[in-house]
Amino acid sequence: MITTKDLTKVYRTPGREVTALDGVDLHVGEGEVFGVVGQSGAGKSSLIRCVNLLERPSSGTVTVDGQELTALAGSGKRAGKELRRARARIGMVFQHFNLLSSRTVLGNVELPLEILGHSGHERTRKAHELLELVGLGDHARAHPAQLSGGQKQRVGIARALAGDPKVLLSDEATSALDPETTRSVLQLLRDLKEQLGLTVLLITHEMEVVKAVCDSAALMKSGRITESGTVPELLATPGSELARELFPVGGTPSADDRTVVDVTFHGETTTEPVISKLSRTYNVDISILGAAMDTVAGKQVGRMRIELPGSFDDNVVPIGFLREQGLTVDVADVAPVAAEPQDNAGLVKEGAK
Amino acid sequence: MSWSEIQPLLFQGFWDTLYMVGWSTLIALVGGLPIGVLLVLTDRGGMLHNALVNKVVGAVVNVGRSLPFIILLIALIPFTRFVVGQSVGSTAAVVPLAIGAIPFFARLVETAIREVDRGLVEAVQAMGGGTPTVVFKALLPQALPSLVAGLTTTVIVLIGYSAMAGTVGGGGLGSVAVQYGYQRFETSVMIATVVALIVIVTAVQIIGDAAVRLLASGRGGSASGRGGSTADGGAGKRLARLGRGRTVALAAAVVLPLALIGYGIGQSGGDKQTLKIAASPTPHAEILEYVEKNLAEKEGIDLDIRKFNDYVVPNTATESGEVDANFFQHKPYLDDFNKKNGTHIVPVVDVELEPLGLYSKKVDSLGGLGSGDTVAVPNDSTNEGRALHLLAKHGLIELKPGAGQEATLGDIADKKGLTFKELEAAAVPRALDDVDAAVVNGNYAVDADLNPAKDALAAEKVAGNPYANFLAVKDGDQDDPRIRKLAKLLNSPQVEEFIEKKYKGAIEPAFGHVGS
Repeated sequence: MITTKDLTKVYRTPGREVTALDGVDLHVGEGEVFGVVGQSGAGKSSLIRCVNLLERPSSGTVTVDGQELTALAGSGKRAGKELRRARARIGMVFQHFNLLSSRTVLGNVELPLEILGHSGHERTRKAHELLELVGLGDHARAHPAQLSGGQKQRVGIARALAGDPKVLLSDEATSALDPETTRSVLQLLRDLKEQLGLTVLLITHEMEVVKAVCDSAALMKSGRITESGTVPELLATPGSELARELFPVGGTPSADDRTVVDVTFHGETTTEPVISKLSRTYNVDISILGAAMDTVAGKQVGRMRIELPGSFDDNVVPIGFLREQGLTVDVADVAPVAAEPQDNAGLVKEGAK
Repeated sequence: MSWSEIQPLLFQGFWDTLYMVGWSTLIALVGGLPIGVLLVLTDRGGMLHNALVNKVVGAVVNVGRSLPFIILLIALIPFTRFVVGQSVGSTAAVVPLAIGAIPFFARLVETAIREVDRGLVEAVQAMGGGTPTVVFKALLPQALPSLVAGLTTTVIVLIGYSAMAGTVGGGGLGSVAVQYGYQRFETSVMIATVVALIVIVTAVQIIGDAAVRLLASGRGGSASGRGGSTADGGAGKRLARLGRGRTVALAAAVVLPLALIGYGIGQSGGDKQTLKIAASPTPHAEILEYVEKNLAEKEGIDLDIRKFNDYVVPNTATESGEVDANFFQHKPYLDDFNKKNGTHIVPVVDVELEPLGLYSKKVDSLGGLGSGDTVAVPNDSTNEGRALHLLAKHGLIELKPGAGQEATLGDIADKKGLTFKELEAAAVPRALDDVDAAVVNGNYAVDADLNPAKDALAAEKVAGNPYANFLAVKDGDQDDPRIRKLAKLLNSPQVEEFIEKKYKGAIEPAFGHVGS
């Protein structure tokens, strides 16, 4: 639904060049909720703005719903009619809501309909419908200043849906909200996606958001996508930084001569008694150092850090067993007395020792 | 002056002020708004980023902002004439007022629009809105309270500027304050006009603030204190009421200037047979008013007397035919003016002399003045020369041989120990307490309660004096029957009696043909 090819964005100021996007290839499938995660300054914001061409990419192409937007843009700085029409079919939600304080809630939702040239009556009807959809039917006459943050974002979402978009872009939509409100707004996004068959591209710095709504995710660092895939894929990828970020497990080994292994369960394996099987089969004493269970994109996923006696070489066979069970296995390089807690200890790919 | 005399002055001044300020505000709004928007849009990072346009428009605005208004007023005279067909009067004053206010308001617009969150622009662009949509749906509505506040400030600045409209005969309260309060020492008039101005400015500010509050209400300003108590039930009703109030405020904002303009149109356009005469307020306009009230009707002429504080515009207006005649100057000044400006103004008939006198509050006679004393003199070329000649004639200084009528301090051969202070002619009588002696123009002396006949240590004589003030017209109009009639009336025994009685020697009749 959204494809970017070799997308580059360089900001030029006199005497300085900043590369915000450095050859980004992104593919978001239809009906997917795709999360781009990264620290601030990683280029997420530039990426999402390049998708509807609020920012002109320096090079590369953007295709949304089969339409190559970069070709519509032309060479001028101003957005031409065709590009503007294409933008109207892409909803966008902002971190700071960006509602017009001069208009009522209803007026804000009507604004994109005015731009689309709907008649007054039609606008009001549709805007009311959208407000019902986001649960704000009785706040139509209020001004944005009278709403809570979560309500404002619901207005923002209703507004983004006014042009019947197939694609919704979400720019840190929940970053200004408290955890509980964040959950309810994310739930709304998820519901709307199901109800309207939306494709959602969201950028965030919060792993919780990815965990709660995303089908797929990508990690962005210094203008590049370093990892990308569906969440199950990522969790199944040994050494995946995203997977580790999604499920940080803690725990340090009890002694020097131990092998620490991080095991990720997903799909059917979550219900299998894998650890006791391992223990029985190979007669090893397994200590559980830490564990986490959560629901990602509606599926149960778990992660566990276990400790096996002996060095890695002594444990090749048990580790092989775990992998045969369909688990993702990472050997963690954790020093026993290390003050360093949790996942700050770097993961090494298995067998690297 | 009594209240019954002051009241019509105030009333006329009030309407003139409203007329000038109303029109110029409207023009400043129409002109300044797009310029302010353009400055934001073409700036770096703006939607229509264009460094060249931005710099050029910015520079033009800066030039407009830096010109002192009085200079703009004079410099724009040809343009004003081109636009409104005349360079004197309230309508003519609107042109420089508006042009002075456009860059001022444009900067306020620019600031107001810059305050609008860029995120809103982005949001509208993301909806598929183009530049006009962004401007009209987001920038202007969001900035509206600031824009109204800016407009309020502009109106008040214009009220201040309009005080200078007297220079081009525009009238208005400020001009009345200057003419009567400053130049004629009518303190009561000055106080009345200043109070009226304070009332107007305060009213404008209150209305402006109320409009801003009304527009900002519901938007949830940080200090509104209302947000917390908003109950679901009452909120809708309250907002509906606010909505109505807003409509009323906007309607008032539109209708008020239009009403003023309507009034102004009703005001302009006079009788074609009327003789328009530009005159200084004292004593020229007073003498003309006497003629108008007591003598003109019998002769079948109708006078339209325009008062000017300035000595340039009456001549240029006569030259261009906007007024039929003027009465404020003497021969040396006119000769100099004609030469420097290429105009063709000719004197018709001498009327009066305002004898320049030397006054002092420190000494009783000429003999009391000497080395170490300070003497104030007018600083304009003719009056200063005239003053120095008066001093030389009485032996207080010696002028260099050949020093003409426009002698300056540099033409003094021997100061005899005196120090000179050059002041604006109208300000000289005010300086009397601070100097040992001062040379004061007759009209200003009268206004300051000084009598040339009684109080002056030395005064000019009528006989052979080139400084008699005359009625003047554009060359060729001397034989206009209406002018001839007016000339005859100005030299009538009734006017002679009026001058002698009213000014008691401070101003003397000096009838007869000029150039003798």
